[in-house]
Amino acid sequence: MKKILLVTLALLVSLFAFASDPNTLVNLTIGEPETLDGMHSYDTASGEVIENLYDNLIQYNGQSVTEFLPMLSTEVPSVDNGLVVEEDGALKYIFPIREGVKFHSGNILTPADVEYSFERYILGDPAGKAHWMIIEALTSSAFYTVEDWFADYAGMAYSDAVNADRNPISDEAKAKLVSFYEEVIDPRIEVVDNTVVFTLDGPFGAFLNIVCHFGSWGAIVDSKLAMERGDWDGKADGWWKWHDLEADEYAFHDFGGGSGPYKLVEWDRAQQKVVLERFDDYWAGPAAIKNVVIWGVDEFSTRKSMFEAGDADIAYFDPVYLDQALALEAQGKAEVTTGYPVSSITSLHFNWLIAEGSEYLGSGKLDGNGIPREFFSDIHVRRAFAFCYDGITFIDEVINGLGKLVPTDLPEGYLGFDETLPLPEFNLARAAAEFKQAWGGEVWNKGFKLQILYNTGNNSRQTVAEMLSYFVSSINPKFKVEPLGVQWPTYLSAQNNGFLPMFIIGWVADYPDPHNFISTYYASFGTYAGRQGQLFREWAIENVDDEIVAAIKATDSAERIKLYKSVQEKAIEFTLGIPLYMPVGLHVESPQVDGWYPQTARSGYYYYHLSKSE
Amino acid sequence: MPLILIGVTLIIFSMIWALGPDRLLASYIKSPEALKTPDAAERLIKKYGLDEPMPVQYLKWLGNILQGDFGYSMVGKKGVLPAMLERFPYTLELTIYAIIPVILVAIWLGVVSAVHQNKFIDQFIRVFALVGWSLPDFVFGLLLLLVFYSLLGWFPPGMVNTQFDLIMRSAEWNKITSMPTIDALLNGRFDIFVDALRHLILPVMTLAYLWWAYLLRITRSSMLEVLRKDYIRTARAKGVPENIVIQKHAKKNAMIPVLTVAGGSVIGLLGGTVFVETIFSRVGMGRFLADAATLLDYWSIIGGALFFSFIMIVGNLVVDVSYALVDPRIRLE
Repeated sequence: MKKILLVTLALLVSLFAFASDPNTLVNLTIGEPETLDGMHSYDTASGEVIENLYDNLIQYNGQSVTEFLPMLSTEVPSVDNGLVVEEDGALKYIFPIREGVKFHSGNILTPADVEYSFERYILGDPAGKAHWMIIEALTSSAFYTVEDWFADYAGMAYSDAVNADRNPISDEAKAKLVSFYEEVIDPRIEVVDNTVVFTLDGPFGAFLNIVCHFGSWGAIVDSKLAMERGDWDGKADGWWKWHDLEADEYAFHDFGGGSGPYKLVEWDRAQQKVVLERFDDYWAGPAAIKNVVIWGVDEFSTRKSMFEAGDADIAYFDPVYLDQALALEAQGKAEVTTGYPVSSITSLHFNWLIAEGSEYLGSGKLDGNGIPREFFSDIHVRRAFAFCYDGITFIDEVINGLGKLVPTDLPEGYLGFDETLPLPEFNLARAAAEFKQAWGGEVWNKGFKLQILYNTGNNSRQTVAEMLSYFVSSINPKFKVEPLGVQWPTYLSAQNNGFLPMFIIGWVADYPDPHNFISTYYASFGTYAGRQGQLFREWAIENVDDEIVAAIKATDSAERIKLYKSVQEKAIEFTLGIPLYMPVGLHVESPQVDGWYPQTARSGYYYYHLSKSE
Repeated sequence: MPLILIGVTLIIFSMIWALGPDRLLASYIKSPEALKTPDAAERLIKKYGLDEPMPVQYLKWLGNILQGDFGYSMVGKKGVLPAMLERFPYTLELTIYAIIPVILVAIWLGVVSAVHQNKFIDQFIRVFALVGWSLPDFVFGLLLLLVFYSLLGWFPPGMVNTQFDLIMRSAEWNKITSMPTIDALLNGRFDIFVDALRHLILPVMTLAYLWWAYLLRITRSSMLEVLRKDYIRTARAKGVPENIVIQKHAKKNAMIPVLTVAGGSVIGLLGGTVFVETIFSRVGMGRFLADAATLLDYWSIIGGALFFSFIMIVGNLVVDVSYALVDPRIRLE
């Protein structure tokens, strides 16, 4: 018996050693894609796979997010090369389409595939997904959803035109739906000879960023294959049957339909693995690495062990494990890159008029046991809280230095970023002075009590909440700020309903243009406007909305910079929020991997650029 | 059985529904970017009928279940039923490999411990069991991983190594049971079979040690009780060899309560083990349900509860039937 056991053990152990294969790259990450179809993709894990399976019209030039190179389009449209043309106030972008490009299916890419791809995305437009970007760009911010666009055209709500079974409610509704495609959508993206022409209602500064590679919402799909797999048939009559479906009801949810440098072998959702294989007929030449395995390994200890043992080439390290990454580097087992900017900001903003029914403002009065709903509409209160944030200590101690203080909610490196603007200042004396002026001195005399929420498990938000609680309370014993950890659903729900006195939230860029951050945080129509209250919205309409709209419509960079600077100066002057930090990246790879460079617009890794030595 | 299943789902459904549409919305909103469009929240609430009354939602769900539609799993990125069926073979495989050492070793140790009551071997086994019982599975699992993978490099996490994994995803591979060890043998790849076994060793050791502790204590106390019975004394008085007294007269009768617990352990293992699956990067029902609960993926939670209830009911039925095999006094009517 003992002998059998020993022999079995020896056999098992003897088979374990496999040399690192230069043809196979294993990337250990966290999370997994939601979908492999650009239709529903709005997360970095999905984006990473899609950018390797699909091409876009244009691509970024190296690390730049403002310089472009051709991709499926043979030229980058510009006024200088005559491919951006103004006609009656509308702006036409002309993309000459590369010939001879093969899809993974063997089908040849044509301009019709480009037209189909974008029209499919616009008409599909699932709720909460990314296609508001192209709709906003085409309509000069008039619309964000195809349903609103249709309602404006047809004079009837989409839900009044199509029933729950996806059938038109009446003949009149059907006629409107058909003509909406024929008269509104179809003319926007047209094939002209071997080009595809996009017609925008007016200038939109971020348009090229939106259609550029790494944006899964601009990935070009194989239209023939899509139709064979039961997706939209490209016709006006019936497009609504494919509108706002579930992710797995679209053709490429778990099937590759692109022309990118890698083909999909399998998306194993149970094992959290995506397996890719080099596409040898790729138009720009085959990739260096043959097989890629993207593997979701949630447990850090396991990830690190596998990376250390040489069973993985790239591994995700959370910033809190920076020391361990550096230790591996010191042993020659890893190469670590850090400090490069990431297109993200984490901020704290105030609610100028807390919604009725909030349970987080104590008595609801300025009586020492609560706050009134409009507590943060007083600029002195906002300034006082801002002076209580010790950003330098937070970045050094909590996120291991993997972050930077920035003046406003605009990441470094973006158009309009201005390093001469003042950074958030930690100054308790100034905080006390502001509190003394707040609410005509009542705040200082009576004190207040409120709760600051964070979602449990998010250590950064928790620490910020505790830090503010500690420093604000230290200024005056009558000030009580209670940190309260809640589950993510409660946190999200309370924010959306405007119940939180102040909220901590991040924003990751959809596309690398200042509009994506400035409008989100500061405009009255921005994503975070509702949670800052009606009084904030009124302030934004009066003070910054016009400049934000003008900036996205301006074609001159200098003009845009000027406008964004003005908005940021007001954001600082009126203390609209506290820009807590801009994360900086951390990349850990094995010494055998070459070719990686930081690119803020990219989701995860673009394996076409990578190679691996023996 | 249908009544129990309906009862279980009704309770879970009510609890989830009580969260309200705003909180349920969180399962569709992974990041704030998803709320970029002004009416995104309202559209999502309407799309998924989150604001409908609970009886309406429940009856809709029940109607869909009867048509085989368990809803869309946010965790599985596909239908709930296919997502669970995809994971179950992996859990079943781990259970099959774990249950053999769990039951055999635990019973053996329990018998040895009882027979040598209060002697050194008994004390040693009891301490061994106590440590296993006290040790959290993630701690023990991580310790094993540290020693046998990080230090010795013998037993890696995952299912099979990457090269074999690529072979198993290629066109020539015949996927029959979705259980790597069995499929490897059916495909005639003994090397892959051995590799898959190698990846099973640490998860099996972790599970086995934790379950040994429990089963061993039951076996020991049951054996001690039986060893005090008159018929054992009689057998010994008649001069029946001690080995036969233990193995034939005592052990068989002591197995009835052990069988109940062993049956429970099989059912427990079939439900999946979250930490073992997470630490060893394995696929399974436990991780699926834990992820579903974390993400408030309510269709997966309810589907999982239904599935697990079904396993519990069938498992208990099997245990009841097996009583009759062990104890002739019990008859099925």
